[in-house]
Amino acid sequence: MSYEYVVLKEISKKFAGGVKALDKVTIEIRTGEVLALLGENGAGKSTLVKILYGVYSADEGTIYINEKRVDISSPAEAIRHGIVMVSQHPQLIDTLSVAENLALGLKAFNAFTSIKKVSKFISEKSGKFGVKIDPWEKVWRLTYTQKQLVEMIRAMLLNARVVLLDEALTYLPLEEKRKFYKFIKEFTAKGGSAVIITHKIPEALEAADRIAILRRGRLVGIIEGGSARIDDVRKMMFGESAAEITYGKLQASQPGEEAVIETQDLWITGDFGENAVRGVSLRVREGEVVGIAGIVGNGQRELTQALAGLRKVSRGRILIGGRDVTNRGVRVVREMGVGYIPDSPLAFGISIDNSMTENIAALYQRKSMLVNWSEVREVASSLIEAYKIMIPDAGSLIKVLSGGNIMKVIVSKEINYCRRALIAHNPTRALDEVSAIMVRKSIKERAISDGVAVLLVSEDLDEIYQVSDSIYVMNSGKLYGPFPPDEAERSNVEHLMVI
Amino acid sequence: MRFIVVRRTKPHPYIKPLIIALSLITGMGLVAILLTLIGAHPFAILVTIAYSFTTPQVVKDMLLLTMLGCALLISFKGAVWNVGAEGQLYTAIIPIVWITLYVAPWSAGSPPHQPILIILASITAAAVFGAMWGAVAGALRAYVGIDEVPVTLIMNYVAYYVVNILVLGPFRGRYVYGYIRTDDLPDAYKLGINVVMQRTGNAFLDGFLEFIRVVVYYAYWVLAAALVALLTWVVFNHTTIGLRIKILGSNPEFLRAVGVDVRKTTVMALALSGLLVGVASAIYYLGDLTRLTYPIQAQTAGYGYLAILVVWLSMLELPLIPLSAYIVSSLRNAGRNMQIFGLGGLESTLVLLGSVLLTYSALRFLTEYEVRVVK
Ligand SMILES: Nc1ncnc2c1ncn2[C@@H]1O[C@H](COP(=O)(O)OP(=O)(O)O)[C@@H](O)[C@H]1O
Ligand SMILES: [Mg+2]
Repeated sequence: MSYEYVVLKEISKKFAGGVKALDKVTIEIRTGEVLALLGENGAGKSTLVKILYGVYSADEGTIYINEKRVDISSPAEAIRHGIVMVSQHPQLIDTLSVAENLALGLKAFNAFTSIKKVSKFISEKSGKFGVKIDPWEKVWRLTYTQKQLVEMIRAMLLNARVVLLDEALTYLPLEEKRKFYKFIKEFTAKGGSAVIITHKIPEALEAADRIAILRRGRLVGIIEGGSARIDDVRKMMFGESAAEITYGKLQASQPGEEAVIETQDLWITGDFGENAVRGVSLRVREGEVVGIAGIVGNGQRELTQALAGLRKVSRGRILIGGRDVTNRGVRVVREMGVGYIPDSPLAFGISIDNSMTENIAALYQRKSMLVNWSEVREVASSLIEAYKIMIPDAGSLIKVLSGGNIMKVIVSKEINYCRRALIAHNPTRALDEVSAIMVRKSIKERAISDGVAVLLVSEDLDEIYQVSDSIYVMNSGKLYGPFPPDEAERSNVEHLMVI
Repeated sequence: MRFIVVRRTKPHPYIKPLIIALSLITGMGLVAILLTLIGAHPFAILVTIAYSFTTPQVVKDMLLLTMLGCALLISFKGAVWNVGAEGQLYTAIIPIVWITLYVAPWSAGSPPHQPILIILASITAAAVFGAMWGAVAGALRAYVGIDEVPVTLIMNYVAYYVVNILVLGPFRGRYVYGYIRTDDLPDAYKLGINVVMQRTGNAFLDGFLEFIRVVVYYAYWVLAAALVALLTWVVFNHTTIGLRIKILGSNPEFLRAVGVDVRKTTVMALALSGLLVGVASAIYYLGDLTRLTYPIQAQTAGYGYLAILVVWLSMLELPLIPLSAYIVSSLRNAGRNMQIFGLGGLESTLVLLGSVLLTYSALRFLTEYEVRVVK
């Protein structure tokens, strides 16, 4: 029998700047269920799970666990109640082994203390999952999927009764995502509960028993997974804007003749001395959008970083606008009018302890000794309007924004900055559907109307197909293609991604 | 009932000054208790401390520490820890001594506009020397990868050493018998306005007039401190380098990704910091110190080190620098006064500073966290 293990009652939360992130939200989490939490960027999803996990405290409202009123003032306390969160970013220590990492986390909770038992548990669980993990492997050697799996195993080790997945599956390749959902189902079948936050509605419909929809801090409704229709869900999430969602191919570009971004037999060394990129040659012409598909961790990050000038190339050449910029550093590339949406947006894309205007100024104001703030503010307010960024005002610190809105600031300032070329690595990650489509359209718009050459690297095949004029596949540091999108069968492309 | 600590989601508008005030009161209480335990009279201690906050002696220290605090703030904001203000302070005095005593010594026949030119030249030269002294540490950190904290610290001793050699040798005074020090700065180059106040016989009124006299004497310093603070504000709010330094302090990777030379920014942060130390140094030498005495490490008032406390106490907030400069100078003054009034030795100064700063470090977490009571 399922019963209500956790009840969140009339939870309200207001942030600085008067943002009402949650307004009297009442939700129960039942044993044995997968509950999907949906809503557009900034709807309050993360805030809600963070309150349950003890990261934030609610202004009003109460939390009941097993019908008893509780105060959860820290993650440690949440874990004691059997509530564990897995976020997008693995929280593991790179230089320790998997088993060491997990044993470390457990010490505090006196669950398993023997590292032997921990390692046995890891082998067992990962074996069952279908992605083998050697417990003695150092964490830096793991793929992203393996790391997220380790996070899940950690939750199991902690005897979690409720796992909170805040976009934890967002960056996983489709195939492995499915395995995760299976894993989660097994967990709930034994009486556990899972709360999943995702921007992929079809996934939520498939995996969830119930779907709770938040909009601007309010609970719009809870529907049964089986009976839900995608269009209804979208309406509830986005209201009128739901009509803007489309996955149809965007208008094709008329590329010029000249190659704006060109690489010749590029070899790049990865962080751990391996050959991350192996002999990549590609051309992106004026006004053309070239998409690179592939599963995360196949050299895409190293490639885009090298193109932006952030990473040294060990062999080969990079030409931008015909000029050799190989190993010339970031400044040269940036001054040629190249926008860069990085793969690690919070490291290379923005400084969250500064304001939106300061972040824009750092990129745009490069010539004179004095900052022209009125110019910067103009750019900021036009971006806020065009991209519907939810921000108290342009002078607010970035760290007060929700994940999706931070991403919008990063992406919009780069799309607007580029004059000649744009290197976009997963530009719509963490964005809801409406925002993602808007971003794709504006990227395409810059290509078509201003002749910007765009290199789009994405793990999202829908995105690649929707925007690209030409498609490559990257696998183990090598590039396959180009293929024209109309002729490239999706199944073939997917096959190239995993061979 | 139970206390729980939760992370603040809304910053409290006055939390920073509140914490500073609270640590001050707690620290004073602690000292009073401690010294009472060893036999002093608690009332006398509190009165002495309170009195020390209002005496004219704090004016000079506060102004100087405000300038030095601003100077250090420039590097601290960039997470570049310049602990070398002390060395920069004395290095910057070297060209002043040279200019005022050897290049253009004052004589009865000198033209009337000479003092103003010499004063301006001294300030400029001091700024350049301070900046160079800072830039050396910056370059070592940026291009050789040596941490700036030990470097700037060691360079303080190098500066003492260099100054000592100069005072023993080429700068040794010609008119000072029996002392090893430089000749006095010529009166014409002194930066200060002397007014003579008539005594009225009324203790309260006289105290007030003395205060006025001191403030008038340091009028140039007030002006200089205001200019330095304004300059610091302009650097952070209106210049690209100031913006870059701030981002260097919060996310250097982003700075690199927009194509800014992170190393150059590091060097600039330390050079600018040293430059402002140099300016403060010139004001200090021309208005108060007026000569260098051997050995300098025994003569120094340690302003370069106190300035670190000032910035730390201000939580890196420019508007709070004058306030924390005032507090640090008053506490220092209080320690001195307690010694004078026989309420304790040098250790009482240290205990006083220590207990205030300890409480302060304990309470600082309140900027990020709040304590709530649950039933
Ligand atoms: N620490 C914070 N300080 C101020 N505002 C915040 C903070 N965290 C979130 N917000 C605001 O609260 C709202 C909800 O954010 P969040 O819960 O992160 O949304 P999402 O549904 O995208 O996860 C957003 O408008 C966001 O700007
Ligand atoms: Mg979120």
